[in-house]
Amino acid sequence: MADFNPVTLYFILYESMGVWLFILAGVAILLLVGVIMMTLRLGRTGRPAKRPAMAAIAAALVVTVVFFFLVPGWTLAGIGALSGVVDYAFAALLALVPGVAAGAIVFMLAARRCTAKSMRQPVSA
Amino acid sequence: MNRRELLLGASAAGAFSALGAFPTRAQVSSARARIVIAGAGAAGLSLASRLSRQMEHASITIIDAKHEHHFQPGYTLVGAGLWQPTDVTFRNADFIPPGIEWIEEGVADFDPDANRVATTSGRSVNCDFLFVATGLMLDYRGIQGMDESLIGKDGIASIYAGPEAAAASFREIETFIDRGGVGLFGRPPTEMKCAGAPLKITFITDDRARRRGRRENVELIYNAHAGAVFAVPPVNDKVKEMFAARDVAVNYNHVLTAIDPDAKKATYRTEGGDVTLDYDFIHVVPPMRAPDAVRNSPLPWQDGALAADGWIEVDKATLRHPRFANVFAVGDVAGVPRGKTAASVKWQVPVVVDNLVAETAGRDPTATYNGYTSCPMVTAYGKAMLIEFDYDGTLIPSFPFIDPLEERWISWVIEEKGLKGAYRAMLRGRA
Repeated sequence: MADFNPVTLYFILYESMGVWLFILAGVAILLLVGVIMMTLRLGRTGRPAKRPAMAAIAAALVVTVVFFFLVPGWTLAGIGALSGVVDYAFAALLALVPGVAAGAIVFMLAARRCTAKSMRQPVSA
Repeated sequence: MNRRELLLGASAAGAFSALGAFPTRAQVSSARARIVIAGAGAAGLSLASRLSRQMEHASITIIDAKHEHHFQPGYTLVGAGLWQPTDVTFRNADFIPPGIEWIEEGVADFDPDANRVATTSGRSVNCDFLFVATGLMLDYRGIQGMDESLIGKDGIASIYAGPEAAAASFREIETFIDRGGVGLFGRPPTEMKCAGAPLKITFITDDRARRRGRRENVELIYNAHAGAVFAVPPVNDKVKEMFAARDVAVNYNHVLTAIDPDAKKATYRTEGGDVTLDYDFIHVVPPMRAPDAVRNSPLPWQDGALAADGWIEVDKATLRHPRFANVFAVGDVAGVPRGKTAASVKWQVPVVVDNLVAETAGRDPTATYNGYTSCPMVTAYGKAMLIEFDYDGTLIPSFPFIDPLEERWISWVIEEKGLKGAYRAMLRGRA
């Protein structure tokens, strides 16, 4: 397993996914930047991040659960192919990818709504 | 370095430099050696990629007439009806590094005494170092009555002969399950590539029949060439247990010697004499031997178990020829006890390259190959066992959280999603 260093993994992923690796990496960076910016904007407008965060977690959970059942199909297998803790854990890990992406999108939308609301109704100090 | 490699390298550097996670930089040599690589299969291309980076002043020539490159570990998935032949077919030209001369001919003759290789057109190529990576020959005609052209007809399947043969084999499996009857499986007595594949196709046929509700209509028999179904004892025990649970009968010491396609009869050599079995479906795995150019040269073992089929005599730890010190054999053609899989090539190539680089740079060569062989043993649609072992038959799992003797979906994911990318990275000398 020591052979699987990050550079080797990068080349394996690149050979597996081609340009999609860069597209996915780009989307991940955009989402990360978006979440950071919206968090900062919430801070500037004095709005707490709790509600957007809760909405994001809920969305992430729902999407992760849905994708947990879809992931085996992506490997041309059925859900019945999962057996053992390592299978369930790995399926959950893969399902977390779209789950986290959905959570990030929901967080940004919810935070935008919150900050827009505070523009109309400024929070009193 | 071409533009594409530059971009790839720069991206990798950018992504990982912050992590401080670079592997140790490969050693290099500035020797101006003439290197010939015979064969552009998995081993040949991987050698070419690594040598061109680690010995950039060397003159490297690769000899092979083939333009198509086949990802052979994927043949099982083509035979299972999941992948198409195009999924396992690449172009050799896409993997030959710039600066390497590609002679698009076969090798006709090896003359290690004169440090010379002759091509099929009669061209003579001199070298200081020779890497033999020709692969092996599928000897279908070694089975009386059998011919490669019979694959895909009258119940005869064989996933080994190529992507189209693997696809035709799937069609024969489907027809067999439709019609029912007796299905025969087995392996040859010779050394062979991917010794797990005959077992995989047996498991796939069983699972396919179950999924279609037709398992009671087919009788499956595995004819083992020796007293075990697999050479590694714990794997043998596990597969025997699984065959028993899945109602797959096993005959031991049955070597397929002849086939009568019209009468649908297969003849086996057994300890008690010849035995003929009727079949409705048979998966033929041919005897495998070194190519004629190798067998007719001074390179093969002169005696011992590996001599008969012409495998090249090498030290099993360094893959270096003991009689011709500037000759190495890598991949299927190497006369070592195990190691005829793509995963073996992945570990063999860095050993021979690093040793040559060290030697030509004035250092001691110290790298050794431990016989690493890997077989993601597909046991059903969506399940596999990730089996890895060394020369001693000791299981050496790469991932501590994956039990090699348990059927797991994660092992299937590695087979179905992970191997092709890793293989292509290996061809580029990056894995």
